[in-house]
Amino acid sequence: MADAVMQAVNVTKDYETRAVTTRALDDVSLDVTRGEFSALAGPSGSGKTTLLNMLGTIDAPTSGIVRIDGDDVTAMSEAERSDLRLEKLGFIFQSYNLIPVLSATENVEFVLLLQGLGARERRARAEEVLVELGLGDLLAKRPTEMSGGQQQRVAVARAIASNPSIVLADEPTANLDSRTAESLLDLMLRMNGERGVTFLFSTHDRRVMDRARRIVQLVDGRIASDESRP
Amino acid sequence: MLLRIAVRNVARGWRRSLIVLLSIGVGLSGCLFVVAWSKGLVHQMADNAVKIQLAHMAVQAPGYRDNPDVRYNLPDYDAIAKTARSQAGVHASPRLRGEGLVQTARKSVLAVMIGVRPGDEAEVSVVPSSIVEGSFLRTGSGARRLPPVVIGVKMAGEMRAEIGDKLVLHVPGDAGLGAFRVSGLYRTASSEFDGVAVFLRLRDAQRLFGVGDAATEVAIVLDDEKTVDAVQARLQEALGSGVEVLTWRERARRLASMLDLMGDLSWIFYATVFVAMAFGIANTMLMAVYERLREFGVMRSLGLSRARLMMLIALESAALTLAGTGIGLGTGFALVGWLGKRGIDLSMFSDALESYGIGTRVFLHAGWEDALTPLALALVTGVVAAVWPGVRAIRMRPAEALRRA
Repeated sequence: MADAVMQAVNVTKDYETRAVTTRALDDVSLDVTRGEFSALAGPSGSGKTTLLNMLGTIDAPTSGIVRIDGDDVTAMSEAERSDLRLEKLGFIFQSYNLIPVLSATENVEFVLLLQGLGARERRARAEEVLVELGLGDLLAKRPTEMSGGQQQRVAVARAIASNPSIVLADEPTANLDSRTAESLLDLMLRMNGERGVTFLFSTHDRRVMDRARRIVQLVDGRIASDESRP
Repeated sequence: MLLRIAVRNVARGWRRSLIVLLSIGVGLSGCLFVVAWSKGLVHQMADNAVKIQLAHMAVQAPGYRDNPDVRYNLPDYDAIAKTARSQAGVHASPRLRGEGLVQTARKSVLAVMIGVRPGDEAEVSVVPSSIVEGSFLRTGSGARRLPPVVIGVKMAGEMRAEIGDKLVLHVPGDAGLGAFRVSGLYRTASSEFDGVAVFLRLRDAQRLFGVGDAATEVAIVLDDEKTVDAVQARLQEALGSGVEVLTWRERARRLASMLDLMGDLSWIFYATVFVAMAFGIANTMLMAVYERLREFGVMRSLGLSRARLMMLIALESAALTLAGTGIGLGTGFALVGWLGKRGIDLSMFSDALESYGIGTRVFLHAGWEDALTPLALALVTGVVAAVWPGVRAIRMRPAEALRRA
């Protein structure tokens, strides 16, 4: 597909333990186009997080190819994949995963530091994004001083601060109450609309699926259905 | 920011960090104490040798250093002393030094006879002020009017000699025999010196050794010991190649080597301590890394390269080690500073210590190099100790690390 920002081509992933080999993904092919707001859905163990990890280049398939913007990431070195994640991808995790010793501002700054921005520019950019997401009064707070919802909003700020073209979110609403989850989804939809950021979720949260414009259902490591909505 | 994260992580696991900090602190301060103790002993030995007999430097006739015979002497010693004294902060005393035999009616012992001018000698040696009985080379009166000698308390004990007793000094050669009367007993920090050195007036020594108006050396002491090399060079230039200007290190090479050896040995002490510590630090860092694998997975997902993750772990390890080193050096230097001024009374070992010229109170000695060496080693240890935990962290794929609870 010409406008595919992410492609999985015949991706298979096996997890091996001493006695057993478990197939988490079985010959999965998927294209994600620019500007999508899509969800990988399915029950626990269906392979949605594994597929998200493959597309996010933080795990390698046993066989098959993953492409980001047309580049085969499975052929890249680890250093090249790190650079690619830094440049093009943003991550949001289920349990927020902010760096506990850093404040909200510093957590956002961290990604900008990796991008090589100077201290003053980093600070200004981080504060700007946090204020834009309504977190202006949490700038100096550390994760332990914030609620789950607040932490997840900071995680969103961290994911978008580096201006990635794709944000991968693994069960981002799983630990949030309804109101906070709705608010967070609104925020991400706004980012998608205003900035054209591609969002791909792994989820089994109905609220996420209701808002997603494309839902890819996974069952037992295979794509069972792929529905798009206007 | 990586440094900030590293330092905050050290503070975050404060219980674990505290144990490591204390172990480094106690180990290092103990090591510093041992090094300062050893250096104190050797420095005291050297310092006493300089004050008692070596002086900071000496002018000698060529050949005397290799064969200390009175034949190698300086006829123009007064001019040499005058040239030396013309420099600021320089004190000089001519000496005639030779070997011979000291005899009483009951006993005789081998001795080093040192002819001096009492006034000049008081400026370069502590012996004139170390008189415990009698006086330093003051002539008696009446029938007791024999030339005075001063001997050490140890020699007096061995020879059962007392103030006023007559001694006969024998030296090799034709003239060498003279009767003297003990005018004083001295006691220095070196019992070995006290057992062999006999002081007499320069002119009496010249007569005894039959060398005419000559001395074997001009001993020189400086107000500022740090100027030794500069003064040596100036004096050598002023006096020409007919004499040798030698520092105490050049004259007492074995003692100087011992001092240098202490510097080298301190490296071994510190290295041993840090090698032992490295295992403890590596173990602590390994625990810290395993606890935070998920956090590292997040960082790697965000684009932190393997090299930078390694650097973060190394920074954390180095911060921990350097903090422990700071505690160890702070405690160690405070202890060494206190005991360096107060000294440690070891009078129960006085015989052994005085035989090495150390004295019964040992003053600990540590210099700036004793701070730099452990600091450098701490940095290296911190980084090296991080290698194993760091490799464990970077070998894991981000997704694998994220799956860790």
